[in-house]
Amino acid sequence: MTAERSVLVALRACLWCLVFVAVEVGLYLSYRGHDARFHWSTHFLIGASTALVVMAIVAWRRKQPVPAPLLWLLATHLFAMFPDFVFTAGEVHRRWMDVFLGHVSTHFVPGRNWTWYAVFLVTLAAYLVTVDRVTRRHPA
Amino acid sequence: MSQAASGSAAPCGDPLGARHPPARSALVSVWLAAAVTLGAILTATQVAATPGDDPDPAYQRPGLLDVAGLPVVAPHISPDLPALGRRLVLFAVREDKVAGLCNALPGPLDGLDDLDIAVASDASAIDGCPAEVTTVADAAGLVAAYGFHDPLGDVALTGYAVVDSAGRTRYRTLDPEVDDLLDEVATIVQAAP
Repeated sequence: MTAERSVLVALRACLWCLVFVAVEVGLYLSYRGHDARFHWSTHFLIGASTALVVMAIVAWRRKQPVPAPLLWLLATHLFAMFPDFVFTAGEVHRRWMDVFLGHVSTHFVPGRNWTWYAVFLVTLAAYLVTVDRVTRRHPA
Repeated sequence: MSQAASGSAAPCGDPLGARHPPARSALVSVWLAAAVTLGAILTATQVAATPGDDPDPAYQRPGLLDVAGLPVVAPHISPDLPALGRRLVLFAVREDKVAGLCNALPGPLDGLDDLDIAVASDASAIDGCPAEVTTVADAAGLVAAYGFHDPLGDVALTGYAVVDSAGRTRYRTLDPEVDDLLDEVATIVQAAP
């Protein structure tokens, strides 16, 4: 890889980082009040953890890291919080909305968001270990 | 191989998606940065809770009917309320919140069919509420009867309960900012037939 191409790749990663951070900050601020932000945290951690598990599997099978990894996290977060968009439009939550990565029931696990925080850190570690192994065994 | 070509030291390098072996220290840095950032967000969210908030945020504004032992038969707040065939929103309100809520009512609740609205408070006077709103002085009794979480133990809370037309309590939450979130109350009421 040439130095120029490396810089282009890095700048593209920068752009995805900025998009990810800007959208997540916007979503966080859209949840009014600390009690609502408790919900943002749950859905972010669940969405991100799910994405990291899938990313680890995909990276392992493809023998290379997934492209635009932060967008995977953003996409699964948006999927997990989809019922909140519906709520804003005037429809209450229903039990069946658990199909959105446990949108309803995940709030009630013991330990609340600290449990999901621990799950997220484990899945992030798993993905990073996967990236480390596949890039060392199968360098591009 | 240069550091840039290794994918670990380019500006804004992306070790999560690097195609070349990133430095292990970069991977550890990513993990630590995520742990610290999200830990700080969770802590900040927790610290932002006020004494009037539910100690368990999972039960505050859950947006879901029939949580935490509901539905149950709703206690009467007056001989006429709740009335069979009509829905009821009972607001339990701290003294300093009464004026703001009464000024905001009925707001988005206006025009909802078969709906009674009541405001209960231990304030010395419940003034300024629209004529169609029933006011009740015995907030302490109602807070206990309706099973609101009462974190301060002195009824210094603000929240509301929604009773359906069959006389069952379907929703119950603390909500210190309810006067600013009446659109959300209307959403809940519309879901409780």
